[in-house]
Amino acid sequence: MSELEEKDPVVNSSLARPMVIASVLLMVSLAWALWDEAYATRPWKSYQSRFVKLYSSYLKTARPSAEDAEKKIRASSEYLRLDKEMQAAEKSVLAKVTEIDREVNQVLVPQSLALNEPFQEVRSSIGALTYQIEVASSEKAKQSLRAEIEEIKKDKVTVKLPNPDGSMKKVEYTFPQMDKDLLDWKAKKAALLLQRVELMKPASELRARRDKYLSDRIAEVSNETLAGVERKLAAFSPGIRQIHVKDVDLVDRCESCHLGTREPVVLTKAAMGGEAMFTSHPNKDLLKTHDPEKFGCTPCHGGNGVATSSVDKGHGRHKYWLWPMHHKENVEAGCQQCHSGEVVTEMGDTLNAGRELFRLRGCMACHRYEGFDKEPEDLTGVNQQMRQLEQQKAEWDREAGFTIQKADKSKDNAEAQRLYARADDLKVKMSGLDAKIEQLDIRSRSLIREIKKVGPSLKEVRSKLKKEWIPVWVKDPNHWRPGTKMPVFRLDDEEVQAISAFIWQAGVNGKVPPQPQGDAERGKEAFETRGCMACHSMGEGSAKQGGTFAANLSREGEKANYEYLVRWVHEPRERTLPYCPYEKKDLTEEDYKRNGAPFVFDLEHTRCPNDGHELQVQQMTPMPSLRLSIEEARDIATYLMTRKQANASLPAAPYLDDPKLKARGQFLVRNYGCAGCHEISGLEEEQRIGTELTREGSKPIERLDFALLGHDAAKEGWYNHKGFFEHKLKDPSVYDKGKEKENKLERLKMPNFNLAKNEIDALATLLIGSVEPNIPARYQFKPTDQRQDIIEGWWVVRKYNCMGCHQVHVGQTTVFNTLTRYQDPDWKDQRPPSLIGEGARVDPAWLMRFLNNPAQEEKDLNRNGVRQYLKARMPTFHFSDGELRKLVRFFEAMSSQAQPYIAQKLDPLTEQERTMARQLFSSEGAPCLKCHATGDPNHDKRATAPNFTLAKERLKPGWTKRWMIDPAMMAPGTAMPSGLFQRDGGRFIFAGPTPASFQGYQKDHADLLVRYMFQFTQEELSRLRASAGAGAGR
Amino acid sequence: MRKTLIAVGVASVLTLAGCGGGSGPAKTEAPAEKPAAAAAVDDANAATLTGKVAFTGEKPTPKSISMEATPACSRAHATPQKSEEVIVNGNGTLANTVVWVKAGLPAKEWPAPASAVKLDQKGCVYTPHVIAVQTNQNIEVTNSDPTNHNIHPLPKTNREWNESQPPNGEAKMKQFAREEVMIPVKCNVHPWMRSYVAVVGHPFYAVTGDDGSFSIKGLPPGEYTIEAVHEKFGTKEMKVTVGPKESKAVDFSFAG
Repeated sequence: MSELEEKDPVVNSSLARPMVIASVLLMVSLAWALWDEAYATRPWKSYQSRFVKLYSSYLKTARPSAEDAEKKIRASSEYLRLDKEMQAAEKSVLAKVTEIDREVNQVLVPQSLALNEPFQEVRSSIGALTYQIEVASSEKAKQSLRAEIEEIKKDKVTVKLPNPDGSMKKVEYTFPQMDKDLLDWKAKKAALLLQRVELMKPASELRARRDKYLSDRIAEVSNETLAGVERKLAAFSPGIRQIHVKDVDLVDRCESCHLGTREPVVLTKAAMGGEAMFTSHPNKDLLKTHDPEKFGCTPCHGGNGVATSSVDKGHGRHKYWLWPMHHKENVEAGCQQCHSGEVVTEMGDTLNAGRELFRLRGCMACHRYEGFDKEPEDLTGVNQQMRQLEQQKAEWDREAGFTIQKADKSKDNAEAQRLYARADDLKVKMSGLDAKIEQLDIRSRSLIREIKKVGPSLKEVRSKLKKEWIPVWVKDPNHWRPGTKMPVFRLDDEEVQAISAFIWQAGVNGKVPPQPQGDAERGKEAFETRGCMACHSMGEGSAKQGGTFAANLSREGEKANYEYLVRWVHEPRERTLPYCPYEKKDLTEEDYKRNGAPFVFDLEHTRCPNDGHELQVQQMTPMPSLRLSIEEARDIATYLMTRKQANASLPAAPYLDDPKLKARGQFLVRNYGCAGCHEISGLEEEQRIGTELTREGSKPIERLDFALLGHDAAKEGWYNHKGFFEHKLKDPSVYDKGKEKENKLERLKMPNFNLAKNEIDALATLLIGSVEPNIPARYQFKPTDQRQDIIEGWWVVRKYNCMGCHQVHVGQTTVFNTLTRYQDPDWKDQRPPSLIGEGARVDPAWLMRFLNNPAQEEKDLNRNGVRQYLKARMPTFHFSDGELRKLVRFFEAMSSQAQPYIAQKLDPLTEQERTMARQLFSSEGAPCLKCHATGDPNHDKRATAPNFTLAKERLKPGWTKRWMIDPAMMAPGTAMPSGLFQRDGGRFIFAGPTPASFQGYQKDHADLLVRYMFQFTQEELSRLRASAGAGAGR
Repeated sequence: MRKTLIAVGVASVLTLAGCGGGSGPAKTEAPAEKPAAAAAVDDANAATLTGKVAFTGEKPTPKSISMEATPACSRAHATPQKSEEVIVNGNGTLANTVVWVKAGLPAKEWPAPASAVKLDQKGCVYTPHVIAVQTNQNIEVTNSDPTNHNIHPLPKTNREWNESQPPNGEAKMKQFAREEVMIPVKCNVHPWMRSYVAVVGHPFYAVTGDDGSFSIKGLPPGEYTIEAVHEKFGTKEMKVTVGPKESKAVDFSFAG
């Protein structure tokens, strides 16, 4: 070996060790790579195997009980009876059916098959010859071919036909004979099969009934479904489960782990060994309208649907992922991105609560949010549109003038005629604009009526309040009245004094007429029964009863002036001075006098005496008029004045009249945005002081000012939108913490609303959901059909708190339902009516009239128009035209009624039928007149149900019949009893004794009564009253 | 040999399981056939509670009811019908008071008696004024009047219903599935009509009659909360312990 070779490391040193190390490393990294590939980046695999295990073992426990239940039903006497009946029916026709089957299967079918082949053979040769005739050139050739066909038709063919016993018989056939036999057999077979169906009909009906009996009694899933699931689980193969919606580029793999989401068996956490991730989707109805195959998961829930490598990534809990999955308490945030523009979304209770708070607590007064409080914006829009149309009109007018001039001078008659026609066209179009402008003008007046403020008008303070109360309230409203809507501003004493002084001095001067005292006892009864408590609450702490829509009045006597309160209770719309938005001032008696006009302003007198502009003539409150007599208003006000805490006193506040404070006060009031919620003299045109929140949820996180708390937030895991909103809502000054802000004006202004945890969750849900939609427009809920009427109607329903008194949708409760007094059996019937199905119940034209004037009377307003027996009063809301339309359309749409309504035509009533119906109505056996009013004051004293003689104006006939037959189905707990009619074959007959005249009457009794009611006349009314009187005398 | 033993063991466990499973859902079937109240307890050791519901204070004068709105009703009474809201018996006791074992019974199913409790409408008055039934026991509602009535119970936990019953119409068989003491019943046509139904989940209850006394028999020994319920005067509670075969007196008293 040479030296060189000896020193050569390649030759000399052993590479075994590095080789081993390298190969071990290689092996390890290979193993790691394989493991990583198979498991580490695919955690869903272990979830899948766990799911299969848990699901299978749950099925093992669920299946036997399901089997057991099914077995029991199969063994029940009713099932056995149905089964036996079915068997018997089958058996009774068995012989005939077998005979038919034999005839069809053993004779007709085999014979037809046997004959068909030779028949087709001959037919095809005839077909070939026919074609040759068609293409042959000479008539002679055609003749000879025709003769050939005739020959073939005469040829005899021997066919072997099978006998039923299997043997064969030979029959000789010509072509026409074959054709005839085949057709005959076919007809015979069809007739026999039809006969078979007829024979089997009773048996199949019984079988269906038996099977329905079984399926009706299996509450959840049938044994069959369970078996199917078990088979599916047995064949389970691990793999990514994904929803792919191609056209929107949506890939959601959530179900790779959440395998139970859409299982037919309802999987609860307990059923799945405590693993919540395997449970079924909690709302199957929601999935029906949002099919996951089309909607996926993440558009609603957030999260990163593509990620499968870890839970956090899949759920989008990553600082670079913009749409993290919503937490459970905010899960409905996902609804908002497509359902923005709605104030009530079905099945979105938390979100709806958030929207309601946003409205009711006045968030919208400082923060613009599309859809909320949009009347002022709409008004601007409408006025602008009117101006544009006026301009257009002027332009056309000018053009028409020029055109006529041109025509006058034209040398050509035809040309002149054309120009005149054009001018006329322009005039006609202008008249169209006039109609449009008129509509807009009405709309603009409507809108002035529709604009409401969250808080009361501060213009009225001088006649409304005890002045010393103002600073007490401004300082800490929540302390004085826990739970009040007004938030707490962080004011020092100097600010409180200046603000109070400004408010007091900015109040308008006007007279409120003096009022004698009323009766507090009667007032209390009226307050508790007229309907005040649907919005207002009374009592403090656990004794509190009533609604939260408006103020708690437990301490009203400490702050209010009696005379003002009487006016307010009597007609809350009344204000001291009208406001002219054009001149931007409150008009006084002087303005009217100067123009020689009487000082009158109300909904009929809305024009400014100075310049004819539309005035604000009512207080901007949603509080309606209960149409109380002035005496009753005094009683209620007197009662309210007794509501005060013992030893209540207010500290003197001489500074309120200090004019030096006014300017400072106005500055502060403006700074804190008070005019967002309150009407304040001189600040009517104030803009919102807060940031717009319509898209706040998709604002980049860096633009949310966490101030000095950013690091803490990141550490504590709330550096996200949810965390920002929640902390801000809990303590609006939280982001001032640690900041050096000597100047108070620099500090955060948002006041503290003292929100409870559930309220914060609801509002945070709304805000988190307030995002720029990142899904295509067609997914957004912007219906153009009746559903749009529902969306718009809800805004009005919520605005006026209809739901304080009425049930508007299924599953909702009312304030009345919670009041102690109304739990009593006698008071239960005093609850206002449910409005579920209202659109199906009433004629929309009537509803419009009713909503406009619930008294249904021009002069005697101190009454209910429909239910005079109710102590609670349907108030007059002074709805605008626009609101009336929206409400009527809303109820129609809620009941899926076609619009416009066309009354159903009913068969005319014969004289005989009229007599029968009248006799039934007034008979002892029928209770109708015992409860229903007739319009006769003597009878109606005791009435406890609406006047049915007015039914034809108010109701729809179809609903009326359904109601009579089963009222409890529409309104559980109603005073109207069920069981008045019973089924008799295809018709309904009255369940009690009927008058003799009904003998032999074959028609439906419920129909008869409906037809009677809907063809009711004045003469009939007197006849009915006479006969009811006679009946009563018996 | 071992296998056989195991097989026998498994079989017996299965049989027992089968029996156990069978008894639960049986309650969905029509009311059980055997009479329940007495058979429910070990008779040999059963205790009895007896007592009176006393009334102290001034005896109220019952108000007369005006039935003039329905002549068919007023015709049925020679003298005006009196309100049955408070009936103080001659011996100073209170009638129409439900006394029942509110708590303390062992958790078990007490099958409903097969017999129905009658509730008649006669002279436009519910008779009797107060009835007590067991859950799922039949109440037979009849109308003996020549006028139409509607029976409208207003329960808080049970399901509410309101059904019309024509003159001399078929009797209605009704049950309440859940314990509730007491359910007011009214007639919307004749607003003065009122009755109460006490629905109890077991057979240990009674309604005081014209001597104000009650007796609850067949009670297993134990410690109980007994409650007396009156439509106007509300509820009174009492704790009672009874030993085997013991007869104990329990007296309640309501003040007017």
